[in-house]
Amino acid sequence: MEQSIELRNLAPRRSRKKRDLGLIFFKTFFLLPAVLFLVIFMYYPIKETFHLSMMRASGLGESVFIGFDNYLRLFTNEEFQIGLINVFTWAFWSVVIQIPLAFFIAFSLSAYRNKMTNALRAVYYLASVLPSAIVAMLGRLMFAPNFGIIASIAGKLKWTWLDKIDFLGDPRIAFWSVFFVATWAYSGFYIVYIMANIEQIPMDIREAAELDGANRWQYARYIVLPIVAYPLRIIAVLCVVGSLKLFDLPYLLTSGGPGHATKTLGIILYQQGFVNWQYGKAAAVGVVIFLLSLIFTVAQFSWQRKEGDIG
Amino acid sequence: MNDTLVEKNRQDFRNRSRYSGILINGVLILLALTVILPLLIPWFFVFKTRLECAYNPWGFPTEIRWINFIEAWKAVRIDQGLLNTTIVCLGAVACTVPSAAMAGYIFARYRSKVTEVIFYFVLAGYFVPIQMVLIPLYKLCSQLNLTDSLPGVILPMAAFGIPFWTIIYRSFFQSLPGELAEAARIDGAGHTVTFFRIMLPLAKPATVLAVILVFISAWSDYLLSLILLNSQDLFTMQLRIAQFLNAYGVDNMPRYAAAAIIAAAPTVILYILGHRWILKGTLAGALKG
Repeated sequence: MEQSIELRNLAPRRSRKKRDLGLIFFKTFFLLPAVLFLVIFMYYPIKETFHLSMMRASGLGESVFIGFDNYLRLFTNEEFQIGLINVFTWAFWSVVIQIPLAFFIAFSLSAYRNKMTNALRAVYYLASVLPSAIVAMLGRLMFAPNFGIIASIAGKLKWTWLDKIDFLGDPRIAFWSVFFVATWAYSGFYIVYIMANIEQIPMDIREAAELDGANRWQYARYIVLPIVAYPLRIIAVLCVVGSLKLFDLPYLLTSGGPGHATKTLGIILYQQGFVNWQYGKAAAVGVVIFLLSLIFTVAQFSWQRKEGDIG
Repeated sequence: MNDTLVEKNRQDFRNRSRYSGILINGVLILLALTVILPLLIPWFFVFKTRLECAYNPWGFPTEIRWINFIEAWKAVRIDQGLLNTTIVCLGAVACTVPSAAMAGYIFARYRSKVTEVIFYFVLAGYFVPIQMVLIPLYKLCSQLNLTDSLPGVILPMAAFGIPFWTIIYRSFFQSLPGELAEAARIDGAGHTVTFFRIMLPLAKPATVLAVILVFISAWSDYLLSLILLNSQDLFTMQLRIAQFLNAYGVDNMPRYAAAAIIAAAPTVILYILGHRWILKGTLAGALKG
């Protein structure tokens, strides 16, 4: 604002009205692409999702308004209940296993920095860059019964107990196999993220700790952990929201099966919408995913408010 | 007295860390191996016949056969998929980055009540999961005649990338000194020229970041292309691989292993070539986000 007033004084040749019009035109022209993209491909579909979730709508025939019936049916539906439980179990264990694992690796990498550190970090991150279809392919390579790598090694060692486990086909185990593959694939990003934040800590803080006789684990526990607590919470929220949206890996590895063992909200939405053509129900699942992820994101933001401006 | 204590503490720190350092580094290397091994193990199988692989999976192959690679290549048809994926990636970059840069510039430098309102409208988009809008998106694309076409994948993808990058560009342009733009304008350059000649080149770090990360996220997209693409010719690399996964089992291990190598190769090669940039981008994104 200031600068435009200054310019007005400096360049009085053009009339104020003309310039204002030009400025408005310029602003509109610059904002238009982003706004159009969002309106057409995000906000209009969002409106439609809410609308559809109140309809009995399928690929064929007339849609009928049925109020909250889709939601009521969802919450009494066994598949959806299991999906909800799966998603929250997944979120819980992601936060409890993946984040501490990533913190351990990130801290060790930066605390014991040597010639290999950057190479190791690059290797860890590779798994996060691999697209999920490839990760699923490698996951099946490991876990397939009879011919898979684990089964093959078990056969070689004559460990029949291991040979007998059907990692992706046994409903009690499939969830954990998929979770293991996901941990393999996702941890790289968390490691890089946490490490970036650890490396931001000024060297003199570390030296001060060193001089006070702290060992590395005391340094990690009492100095690094409190400093990176905020970024850790951000990835915890990312973990939870990611679990709500989870689709690729479980779908590619097990298609949500056996039974409902690895069903997630994303898979239920996809199957309702694009296999059963139950648009209304699928839209209702979409709204549930949206509302749940909104709750967690808002929680993160209110944390951020309380902490003041850190990031 | 105090100095010697300090020195002693320092030495203790170093000595203790020598033993734990070996242990920790060992663990770190072991973990790195678990990342790499699934990519290396397939090489044990690819040169063998099925029978040979069943009886002697871990030994040396009796001869080097390329037949598994040829069969896997025919089954995956990754070349076509790779081409489509590249088009989607470039399209996503071309749609996302300029729109986000322009909008971010306005939000940073031409603030008014109206632009603030629009900014919150864009910001809110950052929190919308794409899963939520899949069904209407599918319907919309068929109304616009975009289903089963690559633009049909690119445009929604861009819409869901724009909010984040607009936020990044906005904070980047805010951090740039205003004098340069002012000077250019006093010299008679218009708003648009100032942006393209002066401000955009200054925002190169943000642009590099945006191009890399938008490219990667388009590269790994699965859900959108799964829903919006039907014909084989348009399948992206991910869809091709998923199709192979569903059609062929692991029972023909040599062929499966060859397919896994073929599937992973483009990403791994790209990563080896560009990992410095990719890591840099992710690091910068991690600290900004």
